[in-house]
Amino acid sequence: MKVSYNELQALCRKAFQAMGFEEGDASDAADMVAWMQLYELSGLTALGRGLDFLLEDQDERAPELIYSDGDLAVLDSHGASVLKSSSLALELGFAKARARGLAVIKIRHCHNRQLIMGYLARLAGRGMNVTAFWRNAQAPDSGKMNDTPLIEQVVGFRAGSSVPEIRVYAVHEVPEENEPNDGVTLIMANHVDLLPSLRSEYQLDLLARHQESDLLACRERAMQQGIEVDEGLWVRLKSLATRLLVESTETSRSGAGAGSNDND
Amino acid sequence: MRREDLASRLSDIEQRLRLRSPDEVMQLERLGSLHASRLSFVRSLVRQMARQRWQISTIRFDLDAEGHGIAIYRLQTPWARYHGVIFSQPLDDAARSDRVIAEAWDATFGVVEGDVDDSLLDHMAANVPLQEAGRQHPRLLVLSRANRSLRNFAAFLDALSAGRQPDPTWLTRVGYLYRTTAVYGNGKFGIADFDRLKHNPDFQRPFSAQMLAVYLLRHFSIEQIEHMARAKAPGRAVAMATPLRRYLGIGNSTGLGMAPFLINHPQLIQRWIESREQALAQVSGQVPGEPDRQRLLTLIARAEQHMAQTVTEDTKQSARNRDTASALPAVRAWLEQVPLTDELWQELIDWSRQTLSLEAQELIHTLLLEIYPKIVDPFEDRMGVKESLELTPDMPLIRLKQSIETHYDWALRHDFEDPDERYWFWYRSMEKEEPRLGVRDVEPGADRELKLAIAARVADTHKVIDDFLTTHPRALVVEFLIHHPRHKDIIRRIQSMAETPFGEIRANLWARDMKPVHILRTKLSFFGASRFDPKSDRWVRITLFQGAPLVEELNAKPCDLIEFDDWSFPLEPSQSAEGTLSEAGAVTRQYAGVST
Repeated sequence: MKVSYNELQALCRKAFQAMGFEEGDASDAADMVAWMQLYELSGLTALGRGLDFLLEDQDERAPELIYSDGDLAVLDSHGASVLKSSSLALELGFAKARARGLAVIKIRHCHNRQLIMGYLARLAGRGMNVTAFWRNAQAPDSGKMNDTPLIEQVVGFRAGSSVPEIRVYAVHEVPEENEPNDGVTLIMANHVDLLPSLRSEYQLDLLARHQESDLLACRERAMQQGIEVDEGLWVRLKSLATRLLVESTETSRSGAGAGSNDND
Repeated sequence: MRREDLASRLSDIEQRLRLRSPDEVMQLERLGSLHASRLSFVRSLVRQMARQRWQISTIRFDLDAEGHGIAIYRLQTPWARYHGVIFSQPLDDAARSDRVIAEAWDATFGVVEGDVDDSLLDHMAANVPLQEAGRQHPRLLVLSRANRSLRNFAAFLDALSAGRQPDPTWLTRVGYLYRTTAVYGNGKFGIADFDRLKHNPDFQRPFSAQMLAVYLLRHFSIEQIEHMARAKAPGRAVAMATPLRRYLGIGNSTGLGMAPFLINHPQLIQRWIESREQALAQVSGQVPGEPDRQRLLTLIARAEQHMAQTVTEDTKQSARNRDTASALPAVRAWLEQVPLTDELWQELIDWSRQTLSLEAQELIHTLLLEIYPKIVDPFEDRMGVKESLELTPDMPLIRLKQSIETHYDWALRHDFEDPDERYWFWYRSMEKEEPRLGVRDVEPGADRELKLAIAARVADTHKVIDDFLTTHPRALVVEFLIHHPRHKDIIRRIQSMAETPFGEIRANLWARDMKPVHILRTKLSFFGASRFDPKSDRWVRITLFQGAPLVEELNAKPCDLIEFDDWSFPLEPSQSAEGTLSEAGAVTRQYAGVST
C-alpha cells in the first residue's frame, strides 16, 4: 500500500510513543524511519526486523558515557536500538566538532544501526560533515576463505546536504583480530568533507552504492507517487498507536464540546 | 499618482521599534479576538486567482433532482491544471454530524493535481466518500466533506423554485448552504504531502489549496441549489441574484481538533502572527492623507454594520459583538475630530488600546491593514516556513536557563501545584482520535495526555535545569540531556523558538479558566473566517468566502483588482419593495475617484 511521508512520520511517532519512548525520542525515531523510507533505503523493513526487540526491550538504562574528552567520546547503548539511544550521542559529537573542528564518537552495543542515517541527515542539515562506519554481523568462521564475507558500510553526508553518499561493500581480506562488532563509529568535521571513496588496492566487492542524485530521485518519486509500505507492518503500527487513545464514554464525548445534533 | 503609491516602507529598525510586544499579542484572549484581514488565506487566494487570471469551468455536472451525483470543476492557472471533484449523496438525518466521529456526509470532495481520468475517478468514488476510512490517492491535494444547512437549503429551494429570490436575512443568520467539517491537506490518509507543492507557485502558501477546495464548494452549492430548483419547478424557477450569490459563503464547524495544530507548529504560527504584526507596525508609521482617513472611516462604518448583522446564539459572543459594534461610532467620532498628524495611526492604536475591548482593538488593526495593500500584501508571501526545531547541544546550560527566564518568563508565572492551574488534560479518544479535554484526577486518560501544555513543560524543565546547575555549573545542554533525556524535545523547542517571540501562545492550557475557543479563532482568523458563532467554549461555527467574488466574475478577468479584492465585512444585500436585491457596502467603488 501507499502512504504519504507525513502520514508515515505521524504514525511512527505515535507507535514509538505507545512503545514507551519519551516524546522527543519518539519523534526522532519516527523521523529516522521515515527518512530511510523516503529515500527507498528500507527503513520500515529495518523497523519491522527490530520491532519485537523494541517491544521486548525493558532495559530502561540510558546510554552511558564511558569516556569523553575534548574531541572523543565513547558511549555504551547497552544493546538498545539506535532509534532510542543514538540522538544524544550524535548531538554530543556535534557539540565537540563545533568546538574542536573534528570529533570521533563510538557508540557500542547498539541495534538497527542503519537507521542512524536519518539523524545524520539532520546534523548535516545543520552544517556538519558526518561519516558513519559500521561492520555488519560477522559470518560464522569468518576469516576462512570462501566464507560469507565481512560487510562494511560507510555513510557520508556533506554539510548542508539532505542526502548522503553510501557505500556498502564486502571485504575479503579479513584481519586476524576480528572481534564481534555491534557498534558504530562516527566522525564529524566542521570544515572538511568526509565523503567515502573506496580504495582500489584492496579486494572489495561493492554491494551497494547510493549517490546523492539517486537518492534525490527517490525522494521526488515518493512525493509524486506516495511511499510503498508493507500493509501488515502498517496495521501493526496502527494497532500499537491505539495504545495512546483513551476509551470513549458519554462524559468524554461531551469533552469535545460539540453538540449532538447538526440537523439545523 | 495613485494614493497608495504615496505609502512607503519603514526601515527594519523603525518597524522593530513599532512592533507590539509578544506579551501583549500572544495572550490567548487577544488571539481569540482576532478578525480576518487582508493577509488571511482566503483573501490572498482570491487576489492571486484574479491577478493570475485563473479560470474555472464545469466539466461534469451529473446531479439528479435531489442534487445527488457528481460534479467536476476544472481550474486552469498559468502554471498547471487542477480539478475539484465533488460527490453529493443522500444522508439520513440521524447520520448528519459535524464532529470528526461522523462517518457520512452530504458532500465529500477533493482537489486533484492534473487531470481526472476514469481510473482516478473510480478510485475517488470508492474512497473520497469514506474520508478518513478510505485510502486516498497521492494526487489529491485536499480531501474534505461538508454537511448541508438544512434550514437554508429548504428556504432557498422553496424560494428559487417558486420563482422568487430567497430572503437575504437567511444568510445573515447562517451564511451558507454547506458547512465543511474538516478540510484535510498535507498527506492525510494518503493524499499528497504539502512538500510536493513547495515548487508549485499556485499553492505553496499554507492552506491555499484547502481554501481553493472551499471556494469550489461554494460555487457548487450555488449551482446545485439552482439545479434542484429547476428540477422541482421547470420553467418557473429562477437563478439566484448576483448580490445574494456573493453574500453566500461556506460554513465551517471546528472543534478541539484544531487546537493541537497551533501548539505543534510554533514556527508556522510565528510567521503568521509576526507577518501580521510587522504589517501593522509598517502601517502605524504611514503618514495619512485625508483620503486615507476617509477610507478608514468608511471601512469602520461597513464593519460596524457587519458586526450588527452578525448573529450568534452564544450570549458571550453576542455581547462581544455588541460591544464592538457600539464602540465603533466613538472610533469614527475620534477619527473625525483629531487633527491629521503624521502619527495619526499610531495614536489611534494607542487610544484603542486604552479605551476599547480586545475585539474592537483588533478590528481597528484589521481595518488599518486594509487601507495599505502595497505595504501589507507582500507579507502574504512570508506566511510559509520550512519547519524544523533543532537542538543547540553546545550551548552552556546556564545560558539556556537564562534564555528560559527571558523568553519563556510567561511560562514560569503559573503555580502548577494549584489544582485550578492543572485542571484539564488533553487527550485523543478511541473514537476516530477525536481530541478532547478531561478533568485531571476525575476522568480516565491523564496517563495518555497530549503534551500540549507548553508552559507546564517549560516550568518543569527549568526546575530540573536549576537543580542540575548546582552540581554542574559549567555543563553544556547536551551533557544535561544525557542525564535527563526526557527534556530533549522541550529544550529543542525552547532553543529554536527563543528568538522568535510570536510562536508561542502565552497561556496555561491546563488552567481551569482556559477557553479553547480562543485557540480555534486564532487559526480561523488567519483562514479568513467571519461570523464567529461559538456553540460552546470548545466548538465554533464560522463562515468563509462570504462576500467573495464569484467564479463567473473571476472568469471575466477583472480589470480593477482593487475593487475585486474589496469584499471584507460583507453586508446583507438590500431588497427593494419589488424584491430586487442590490449589493451593499462596496468601499472602493465609492472611493474610486480619490486616487489621482
